[in-house]
Amino acid sequence: MKTYTYSLLATSIVLCGLTLVVPLRAQDSYLSEEDIFNEEVDGAANVYDPLERVNRYTFAFNDFVYLNFLQPLADGYTALTPDPVEEGASKFFYNLKYPVRLVANLLQGRLNGAWVESGRFAINSTLGIAGVMTPADNFKDFAPIKPEDIGQALGAWGIGPGPYLVLPLLGPSNLRDLGGLIGDRSVNPMKEPFSLIDDWDWEWRLALTSSEFIVTSPTLLERYQQLKGSAIDPYSSLRNGYTQFRLGAIAE
Amino acid sequence: MFDYLHNFLFASALLACSVLTAEEGQREKLQSTIDAALDVIYSDCCSELTVEDKQAIVRERIEANYDLDVIIRRAIGRNWQLMKTSEQETVLELVKKLVLKAYVDGLEGKSRPEVTLGDVTTISDTRIEIISTINLDGKTYFVLYRLGRMASGWQIYDIVAENISVVSNYRQQIDDHFRKGNAAELIARLEELLQKNDINEDIHI
Repeated sequence: MKTYTYSLLATSIVLCGLTLVVPLRAQDSYLSEEDIFNEEVDGAANVYDPLERVNRYTFAFNDFVYLNFLQPLADGYTALTPDPVEEGASKFFYNLKYPVRLVANLLQGRLNGAWVESGRFAINSTLGIAGVMTPADNFKDFAPIKPEDIGQALGAWGIGPGPYLVLPLLGPSNLRDLGGLIGDRSVNPMKEPFSLIDDWDWEWRLALTSSEFIVTSPTLLERYQQLKGSAIDPYSSLRNGYTQFRLGAIAE
Repeated sequence: MFDYLHNFLFASALLACSVLTAEEGQREKLQSTIDAALDVIYSDCCSELTVEDKQAIVRERIEANYDLDVIIRRAIGRNWQLMKTSEQETVLELVKKLVLKAYVDGLEGKSRPEVTLGDVTTISDTRIEIISTINLDGKTYFVLYRLGRMASGWQIYDIVAENISVVSNYRQQIDDHFRKGNAAELIARLEELLQKNDINEDIHI
């Protein structure tokens, strides 16, 4: 009993001491203005951009095309198409690009990712009527995962981004992702002229590619405008946004 | 000896809980701030307000809990020293207006996003992160809030949306600007942006 009393007393002293010290420490321990304002930030502070002059012209050209041609097309599509149809079309084209995601997962040794993508493709293509619906979402083992592409796989192998590029019509990229894009197209059944899957006639491919372009443009334009809308320098904002986004995707 | 250990562990657990509760409180505070800001855009009470009024009330509600200067000063970084005091104040105010304009304009006309905050992740004594899941029009987005304990209390010092840090994005733009331009030109550019009604204006080289 005596020992217990001593131990209780000792604990009380320690507890009192800690309760006095902890708030004092908490008050003292805070970030200074120097810490928070001048700290180097993560991400893409120094993007290698030796072609900035050319890139800026391409960026302005793309912007003109997006706003004057693509935007009206996207607006018309959104206005004419009921939301469920829009959603179904978007899912259909996503499902069709399964070979790209499969190869990208395999190249990174992500066997589980390859398995999930394959399962989702099988379920959505059959039960989901060619991918228009996504019943695979209801299967615990085949829940959606983040899409992978070959550019990400190259990044995961340790290949650096190389110079930043703005591709005509396609927008922000870099040398590594341009290589990845060519790789993506070689395993994408819809893409001429690189596709290794050549069972389809070119007319079908062209029709599908054009439809995909129209279906995906509203989402892409919305993201583009979100970054551009509040930008002091839209070119710089897109370059940074793209680089950070890709860094994050590769890290995941 | 066993009793002493038992009591000590109890005391430690009590203290750990009190620290955790303080951090959990930040989650509630952030959730209520987000909800209060969204209410301005989506509640019936505010539907008659002009966009400018909505921006002002959203600002009021955010500033009731957080100091917006913190995230903006961090975005400006060391370029802050390149400006005169009056220019610093003007830039702070204009960037604040621009960000709020983008926030309100970006949500107007859309359905209300469903924002769910995840657990608080403790990075250090002075830094925590709170992940949020946003469901908007059937799509899911992830936004990470980074908070730091400053002399003025816990403040948001960065927001990372879909892997894109807002601070890093603005820091790069402002760094790029100061490599070629000055504070007066930055102010002119910000005023020009705030005058624009339509963000879809052509870009000039």
